[in-house]
Amino acid sequence: MKMFLLQLRNELWKLFAKKRTYIGFVMFLVAQNAMLFGFHFSSGMKRSMTRMLAGNGYLAEDYVSALTVALIMLIPQILLLMPLYTGLIGGDLVAKEAEDGTLRMILCRPVSRWRLLFVKWCAGVVFAVTQVFALGVMALALARLWFPWKGMFVLIPEPENIFAVLSAAEGWKLYAASHIFLAINASTMMTLAFMFGCFNMKPAAATILAISFLLLNLVLESIPALAEYLPYMLLHHFRAWVAVYGQPMDWARVWSALSVLAAFNATCLVIGGTAFHLRDIKS
Amino acid sequence: MTALIELRSLRKVFGQRAAVESLDLVVPRGEIFGLLGHNGAGKSTTIGMMLGQVWPTSGEARVCGHDVTRERGMALARVGAIFETPVFYDYLSGYRNLEVLAQFSAPVSRARLLEVVEWVGLTGREKSKVKTYSHGMRTRLALAQALLPNPELLILDEPSDGLDPEGIHEMRATIQRLNRDLGLTILFSSHLLNEVEQLCTRIAVLQGGRKVFEGTIADAKRTQPRVRLRVNNFDQATRLLVERKLIDSAQDGAFVIPANGVGTDELVRALVENKFSVFEIAPEEETLEAFYLSLVHGAPVSDPARTLTAPPRVGSETGAP
Repeated sequence: MKMFLLQLRNELWKLFAKKRTYIGFVMFLVAQNAMLFGFHFSSGMKRSMTRMLAGNGYLAEDYVSALTVALIMLIPQILLLMPLYTGLIGGDLVAKEAEDGTLRMILCRPVSRWRLLFVKWCAGVVFAVTQVFALGVMALALARLWFPWKGMFVLIPEPENIFAVLSAAEGWKLYAASHIFLAINASTMMTLAFMFGCFNMKPAAATILAISFLLLNLVLESIPALAEYLPYMLLHHFRAWVAVYGQPMDWARVWSALSVLAAFNATCLVIGGTAFHLRDIKS
Repeated sequence: MTALIELRSLRKVFGQRAAVESLDLVVPRGEIFGLLGHNGAGKSTTIGMMLGQVWPTSGEARVCGHDVTRERGMALARVGAIFETPVFYDYLSGYRNLEVLAQFSAPVSRARLLEVVEWVGLTGREKSKVKTYSHGMRTRLALAQALLPNPELLILDEPSDGLDPEGIHEMRATIQRLNRDLGLTILFSSHLLNEVEQLCTRIAVLQGGRKVFEGTIADAKRTQPRVRLRVNNFDQATRLLVERKLIDSAQDGAFVIPANGVGTDELVRALVENKFSVFEIAPEEETLEAFYLSLVHGAPVSDPARTLTAPPRVGSETGAP
């Protein structure tokens, strides 16, 4: 166990000492500021939110808050930016080391390939979790600079179809809880790219394959004729993070998504690990 | 004397191409063993199989008494390796790199890290990022990481690649020191025949994935010395010597290979008795380079008869007019 922790610490050193690891964090910061700027100075969003709340008998000024805006900002970032940055790191973890030649240096050591992969995967999960929580904290902190700390309004359209109006305390609790699910989603995206990186390919190819897989899911999911196949699509299960805001929460949906994501991660690890175990590592 | 490396009928096929074919090799403890061969001869693949990085198609690779494929952990526990063009995490310090790599073998103390850093002469630069290191410093760092697990076997794959003459000299002295002072067994793969000649006690030559020679440096240099011969008519002279079974063959219009046990005095006598004018006759001292070149250019790769034997010196000219 001590060796495992030492090796994990070393992997984290390697990961967080690289500048490219921080690209995602910086881009989230830039995107959030750009969105906040838009929210603050354009009246469109406020107007539609006011209309929606008033139509349901709520006072808009109680719910146009830091929590509401932080959640609104999260959705496009999770959909568009998160796969890119987790995929980038997941694809790099093995493939970049193989490309640079450092993997050969490691594999002179009496460490099994499975163990090496597991250590790297754990480092990738730490990165994915860190990124999600940084994203959540940054979104909330920046939104708080421009918007008051009041109740939370959640509106997620079809297929989730969630309309929730929450107190600040309750909203904050659910906002934090939803990040646990987001962290699982981010880890799954990272694992997908990680799996491709275990094959003999360039790191960029692993990242692109992972993103392509997710985009293909998105495309298939948006085809109405394939609606009955939704449970077979990864993104459908990713969306369980918004189910947290459902009143009452759909636990069956959440547990089913978690089980599918756990199985998907395990499958990716087994496929990637087997490919990595079987391949020859040459200069 | 126990063997630290034992390869038995080792074979590796990539697609349709056999990179290593039926390779048997034994490196006893305490030796500096040279692995020679041109690019693509199979040296790096062989080393990859010794280190469990390349899976053999068939055969067995045993290192430190353990099968690398099945008992990788035990086989490599006390093995250090350096590859051509040492690669590190450039954005980390030398010290951190050593820590990262060493802890894939066993926990390593700060004192041991600093001891090895001092041993390779990097003290004072260990906290600098590797991207600021020269090629020579990277090679020293590579040596340091190889020494950290307290190895009994060092595998060096072209360690002098890219070094300047001073660096090559330093590397040679270090290898000798490691063998002499620490008693390490060293497998040294190189293109630099001069280095191999100066360092190694025994060598194996690979060509096209097959071993075409294994023996001591002395064996290599002793095999069938050539005699430089300058006479008034080389072709007629050599034809006569072949007929009288005094030479095996002639080479390059200027050299002959005397038959077994025949001295230069007998050649001169035979030539003078037959009215040839002998201007010069001198045994040519065999160099490893000449031996190596004759091996890799002088015989078909697939000729199994050449394995473990000295190369037949078949010249292009037989001396017949």
